[in-house]
Amino acid sequence: MVAAINMEAQASEAGPRASRRAWLRALGRPLTATGVIITIFFAVVAIIGPWLAPYDPSAVSDAATAAPSAAHWLGTTQNGQDIFSQMLYGARVSMFVGVGAAVVSTFLSVLVGLLAGYLGGAADELLSLVANVFLVLPALPLTIILAAYLPNSGSLGIIFVISITGWAWGARVLRAQTLSLRRRDFVEAARATGDRTSLIILRDILPNQIAIIAASFLGTVTGAILTQAGLAFLGLTDVTQWSWGTILYWAQVSSALLTGAWWWFVPAGLAIALLGTGLSLVNFGIDEFINPRLRQAGIGTRKAARGITKRRRATRRRPPRVSRPAAVPFTPDSTDVILEVQNLKVDYLGEYGSSTPAVNDVTFTLRRGEVLGIAGESGSGKSTLAYAITRLHKPPATISAGQILYTRPDGAKVDVLGLNEQELRDFRWEELSIVFQSAMNALNPVLRIGEQIADAIKAHRPQMTEVDRAKRVIELLQLVGIQPDRVRAYPHELSGGMRQRAMIAIGLALDPEIIVMDEPTTALDVVIQRQIVEKIMELKDKLGFSVIFITHDLSLLIELSDTIVVMYGGRIVERAAAQDFYRDPRHPYSRGLLASFPTLSGPRRELTGIPGSPPNLRNPPPGCAFHPRCPLAFAACSEVVPPLYQLETATGRTTDAACLIYDTSVSEGTSR
Amino acid sequence: MKSLLRRAFFYLVTAWAAISLNFLIPRIMPGDPAEHLINQFHGRLSPSAVTAMRALFGQSDKSLWQQYLDYWHNVFTGDFGLSYAYYPATVSEVLRTSMWWTLVLITLCTVIAFVLGTGLGVLAGWKRGTWLDSLVPVTTFVSSIPYFWFAIIVVLLFAMTLKWFPISGGYSWDATIGLNWPFISSALYYAVLPAFTIIAASVGGWLIGMRNMMVTTLSEDYVRLAEAKGLPPRRVVFTYAARNAMLPSLSGFAMSLGFVVGGSIVTEVVFNYPGIGTVLFKAAQAADYPLMSAIFLFITVMVLIANLLADVAYTFLDPRTREA
Repeated sequence: MVAAINMEAQASEAGPRASRRAWLRALGRPLTATGVIITIFFAVVAIIGPWLAPYDPSAVSDAATAAPSAAHWLGTTQNGQDIFSQMLYGARVSMFVGVGAAVVSTFLSVLVGLLAGYLGGAADELLSLVANVFLVLPALPLTIILAAYLPNSGSLGIIFVISITGWAWGARVLRAQTLSLRRRDFVEAARATGDRTSLIILRDILPNQIAIIAASFLGTVTGAILTQAGLAFLGLTDVTQWSWGTILYWAQVSSALLTGAWWWFVPAGLAIALLGTGLSLVNFGIDEFINPRLRQAGIGTRKAARGITKRRRATRRRPPRVSRPAAVPFTPDSTDVILEVQNLKVDYLGEYGSSTPAVNDVTFTLRRGEVLGIAGESGSGKSTLAYAITRLHKPPATISAGQILYTRPDGAKVDVLGLNEQELRDFRWEELSIVFQSAMNALNPVLRIGEQIADAIKAHRPQMTEVDRAKRVIELLQLVGIQPDRVRAYPHELSGGMRQRAMIAIGLALDPEIIVMDEPTTALDVVIQRQIVEKIMELKDKLGFSVIFITHDLSLLIELSDTIVVMYGGRIVERAAAQDFYRDPRHPYSRGLLASFPTLSGPRRELTGIPGSPPNLRNPPPGCAFHPRCPLAFAACSEVVPPLYQLETATGRTTDAACLIYDTSVSEGTSR
Repeated sequence: MKSLLRRAFFYLVTAWAAISLNFLIPRIMPGDPAEHLINQFHGRLSPSAVTAMRALFGQSDKSLWQQYLDYWHNVFTGDFGLSYAYYPATVSEVLRTSMWWTLVLITLCTVIAFVLGTGLGVLAGWKRGTWLDSLVPVTTFVSSIPYFWFAIIVVLLFAMTLKWFPISGGYSWDATIGLNWPFISSALYYAVLPAFTIIAASVGGWLIGMRNMMVTTLSEDYVRLAEAKGLPPRRVVFTYAARNAMLPSLSGFAMSLGFVVGGSIVTEVVFNYPGIGTVLFKAAQAADYPLMSAIFLFITVMVLIANLLADVAYTFLDPRTREA
């Protein structure tokens, strides 16, 4: 999911062509397209309607209160006026007022919003106050009074009245948006070079807000048409000028309802509702364009859900909890496997049946007490892998192949992908917990720290008394070095380091066998980072859990891991004992990675780095994904996806590397 | 606490702005509405009523500042002058008899619609990708319908065709207003259709807003952590996702409330409900400016109080606002 969002973000940042494509995609959605068609239809009617009208809308005739017929498609009024003609004329007035009021109030919103957001300070305070006052004032009663004071006000008067009350919301949204844009680099740069304020606003800020302005504009059109209808219905507009609201006014005044003349009031209301729906649907499209998370909501959800149910097996009783064996120090020769991941494949399902593999054919084992480090650039699939192990991946991600086997302390094997919902809940946290990257985002802002630890305990140990649970929470906080009196603190009241410690306390709550740590120290400064890592290692030695540590910080990883796995383009390219890896990385990518990081200890070496950028997973290069950037690549590399080759190391252990230079049958003769 | 005080101060400023606006509007509007109105009564107005009417439009010997002070005095003593639509009743009397109908109806309907819409929105956001997604276009359509037109259709269906409920009014003619069962039961019976209209028309806005917030919140890390912890789904949905998703919904209450109240007022006209909306309609028909102004002020104050209550609820739900 995270990776998918990044992809989307990249897509919309990639430039005008990509964003135009996003627009087209939004237009292609059936609901949005329906909205656009409805809107265009009414716009056309508003323009040419009066010429199409078969009668003069005010002309009286003998056919009083006649039901719809061939002569009068929508029937007639009490005075025999043709309602169809009134509807056609009314479309123009209603649309004119709607669009006119939207133009004026959007102009006001943009003016106030941009100025307030850009100028800041006292001007912002004042403008925001005025906007907020107008936002809270109930609009309709105010418009009623204003309209009442403008006797027989025509369309322009009504536009004026609606605009006065309608601009505040847009101004507020645009102000917030401008504030955040103002701090962006490109605006700062323009200010630093001394460009004129008006130029910066017009050139740098305004174009970035077009989507929001459009949404606000369409929303105001709907609002203005509804308000105009309301005012006209109350008789506060010129009742001799035909609009949809005026038709309803005359219907109400003439008791059309009591006489059963449904054709008199049904068409006008339907037209307003239909137009409003059309505009709202267009706005949803814009919303989804602005907010990628909404766009994601529907895609692939059903398919991914089906995938899970297919895997479901017969329900099994919750196994009795076994006592944990005492912590044994990990040795490199250990064969006590706790977690096996076999040929795991995670796909992101796309919109038109496409799928993007984020994790591909990944196999590794984790042994009891081991620290397994997973390294890779962003987008290498390492976080997706972490989530997939606990089945926390969200649609559109789906596990399409592979197996995950967990071995309980009592020796029983658990097929993680085969667990049903309840079994999965029991498995999570009890056996395997996760420490997330950003504690600020991973802690619930409205719950106290203590409660966020306690609820995990409560869910898994329902028989534990409240007193014991409270004791356990305090114990956990002390374990990670947080004062017990912080138990009632909210996340925002803690410092960054404290929050990360609290996360670890949550992770330890049930004394799990495995803790997955997804970049647990990335957001912290170096000193705090070191404290946290030392705390983790200390706790590991004390409590004896196994760790899967994910990071792009290779020097840190080499220092604390027993085994290192390097991922590239969703695949494992190297798997080695940390010592072997540091001394002699075997995959060209690992060599490049090691050369681009300074180590905290050990001999100094020259930093080189890797030219090029990570592969596009939607359209990966053929063969080995690394070959476009690889200094050792040869012809076969762009044709064959290399398997992992088992290689002897100087220490007598083995290292696996996925590179064709180790394939004697391919590389000999063609390489180097 | 401090943030609440700041909000309360803001509402005081808003109330001051509304009242001053009310004072200013008649004075800056073009034309001579006073003369026009007085002529309409063809000399049936008492001389003091004519003076009051002129004063209302600023046609007075006093300075503008003195007029403004007098105006404030009148606001605080509840003296809004005579109603011309309900002549010779005073504006205060008219307000007093009609306000309870509107207050009870709109308060109940807003609370029910908010709870119902938010609840359905939580469900639709949580079960996204299922049939519940079809609620979105349906509720969009319903919330695009003008309230008063929806009311007309409701009357046509349930009162005229099916005859399940009365067509108009607030209570049966043979009941006497007071705390007696015949009156209360008949008031409830008469309120069903107006209430249904307002709830049905406003529930969609809450639903869509909440659904979108749920979808956004569900991809937050803290919700994923809650799932990783193996918490029961109920706790994940309510304590982690919905609890956070609700906050923007509550702070958007201000704008929505004004909209709902406005819509409900016009709805009353269709049902000829004895509340403020119907009175406002009659006042507008008769160009009864004093009554209209007083109704505007009344509604504004009520909306401000409702907003303040929403702010209190927000502070209660979001610890981050409590300390500042």
